[in-house]
Amino acid sequence: MMETSNQAEQLRPGLWSTVNERYPGSMITNDTFVPLARPTKPLHDSRLSFVSTAGVQPKGSLPFDVVHPVGDYTFRRVPSTSRPSDLEIHQIKYPTSGANRDINVIFPIERLQELAADGVLGSLTPDFFSFIGYNMDPERLEREFAEEIAEAVAAEGADIVLLAPA
Amino acid sequence: MALDVTEQAKPPRAVFVPFMMGHHFGVPFHQQLQRRVIVEALDLLTMAETSGTILKLPVTWADARREGIEIERQMGLRD
Repeated sequence: MMETSNQAEQLRPGLWSTVNERYPGSMITNDTFVPLARPTKPLHDSRLSFVSTAGVQPKGSLPFDVVHPVGDYTFRRVPSTSRPSDLEIHQIKYPTSGANRDINVIFPIERLQELAADGVLGSLTPDFFSFIGYNMDPERLEREFAEEIAEAVAAEGADIVLLAPA
Repeated sequence: MALDVTEQAKPPRAVFVPFMMGHHFGVPFHQQLQRRVIVEALDLLTMAETSGTILKLPVTWADARREGIEIERQMGLRD
């Protein structure tokens, strides 16, 4: 097994091997790094999109299927102008105690709006993107689902993307 | 975020924070910390020289919690 970092550095050490041993092949493992794509514009001219596995979605949109045994391979668009009160979370695989009080701890939409308003970022894509992290078929996740999301992000004219797990 | 999971997935750039699951941008109402995590990630876009760079922020969950509790006291959300 590949050596991993000092276990003291993360609050739930051994997560990768723990899950992968119980559910073999369920965790993404890459042997090589993709080449680094460098930004083509300064940050203050760049349009940022945000992609999250937090299961955040606009109230009234179809809830994620959080009990399907192999996961839900659909994503939701979250308008980047949304207020926290417009949003809700459908995901049961991580503690939402903080996010239920302030959604910015996992989906920092207000902080991103502020960074754009302050001119640190050029702009935000009209939509952000959200799905649930519980997907037990990493091949499908990487080869199909991630490509669908990437296409949607590119279609919104994103120059850079912040990805956040939950 | 789990550091070992990140190392296995090998993203080209990542910021690691030793925070509780579901709290990768910090704690409720701690706007400065939430913004800092994003800004560090944005800085890494230009700073990273090789693919696979993982930036480990020198922060702790205990400090984040302590600061968050103080902020909530100042907001009148906590005694």
